[in-house]
Amino acid sequence: MEGKIIVVTSGKGGVGKTTATASLGAALALEGNRVAVIDMDIGLRNLDVVLGLENRIVFNIVDVVNKRCNLNQAIIRDRRIENLFLVPASQSDNKDVLTAIGVQRVAKMLKSEFDYILMDSPAGIERGFENSVVAADEAIVICTPDVSSVRDADRVIGLLYSRSITPKLIVNRIVPDMVAKGNMLSHEDVMDVLSIDLLGLVPMDDQVVISTNTGMPLVMHNQSPAGQAFRRIARRINGEVDLPIQVPSARVGMWNKISQKLGLNR
Amino acid sequence: MINEIPPVKLKGVGDGFWLTVDPDVQEEVINKEICLLFERLQHLAINAKVVIDLGGAQGCDDLLTNIKQLLKTRFDVGIVTTPPEKRPESIERSRQLELGKGWLTNRSDALILTGRVRSGQKIETRRHLIIAGNVNPGAEIISSGNVIVLGSLQGKVYAGYPDSEDAFVIALDFRPTQVQIGGITTSGSYTSLTGKTVYASIANNRITTQDYMESQPFGKLPWPTAI
Repeated sequence: MEGKIIVVTSGKGGVGKTTATASLGAALALEGNRVAVIDMDIGLRNLDVVLGLENRIVFNIVDVVNKRCNLNQAIIRDRRIENLFLVPASQSDNKDVLTAIGVQRVAKMLKSEFDYILMDSPAGIERGFENSVVAADEAIVICTPDVSSVRDADRVIGLLYSRSITPKLIVNRIVPDMVAKGNMLSHEDVMDVLSIDLLGLVPMDDQVVISTNTGMPLVMHNQSPAGQAFRRIARRINGEVDLPIQVPSARVGMWNKISQKLGLNR
Repeated sequence: MINEIPPVKLKGVGDGFWLTVDPDVQEEVINKEICLLFERLQHLAINAKVVIDLGGAQGCDDLLTNIKQLLKTRFDVGIVTTPPEKRPESIERSRQLELGKGWLTNRSDALILTGRVRSGQKIETRRHLIIAGNVNPGAEIISSGNVIVLGSLQGKVYAGYPDSEDAFVIALDFRPTQVQIGGITTSGSYTSLTGKTVYASIANNRITTQDYMESQPFGKLPWPTAI
């Protein structure tokens, strides 16, 4: 079995990399894949909290890379979702403790055991980012519809291209009301600048904060629009490439629905 | 050191001699010089063909006939003539020649790129720069010549680096964060020209932007000019 390593990155911090990694990991596992999510944000680990697995950590990715333990000792199995596994980051080290060669060695081991390995990259484009992308087969760039996030995503896309990785885009935290009023960039505006394949659009959702704080994966909430968006993205990653991309919409009236079908409004 | 031009010069041309004479000098001096030169030639002067070049000076027919006489009687030269007159070129013809020269001799000096210049990427060239694609915000393009962007220009642009004030910038969609031409910088919004092809250049020590199709900055040039 040869798994696929997908790095989740953004350049800018706070756009939802960790939430996206956790949600996509959980959604891919719910689809029946063996999934490992790796927290590469050494020194500022969060993925364990988002997945509600923080009190089960014994070893972490730094221990594995530096051969202080086996890979299997560091892997934590999620008890709610079958086939979802976490390799946490270290909270005490900094990003320089990992080496590219070490990460590649561990990545090779992970690839033989899992279908999908999602790497949660830290913000920035320095050592931490480089360590996360060194073994990646694919990349997902997360971007929010604001100018600064788009610019940082653009930079990261350039860096990924220079490493022969073709990234795909998720536009996160879309507020349809604001887009309709022209107060927020639409996903078309973002696509105009970034011009890479779109993987999905995720609306702003209060449930994200609740699930992050409670450690309950977002995709397990059937009422959450963001969770549903991530489930659709996971299906697209999992091979259903023809699944249409749903544009978050604030309009619910009948006429708006009809005009949307006819393509009269964006 | 003063390098004086001699009043009379002699050189061999094809099957004869070319005698350059300065008509401003006194006739005796000229005659003396000619005698000196032709005595040295000895028998070579006999039956030779001589062209007397007065440097295009008018009204020196007397001088010319005197020299002819002297050469024929004293040195037995064959034919003495004046240089063939050049056919005056018509203005039309010279224009055509100039036109042809303009782009035949001009080597292409442009860097042409296709694709998107992304944030953090920097393109520096000493040539003209043509980008068929977009320049994203956060990107930087620097050219020692002119810059033409066939797409959206949203980054930072520097034309005529470091001090060429004749440089210009043309973009189909002109929304740069900063424009610098030569030593003059400007930043600000260009919302009035949204959706138009913009031509930016220096006028009165300021960078001015114009609607390219409306102002036609090169429309008045009489014929295509290579830059």
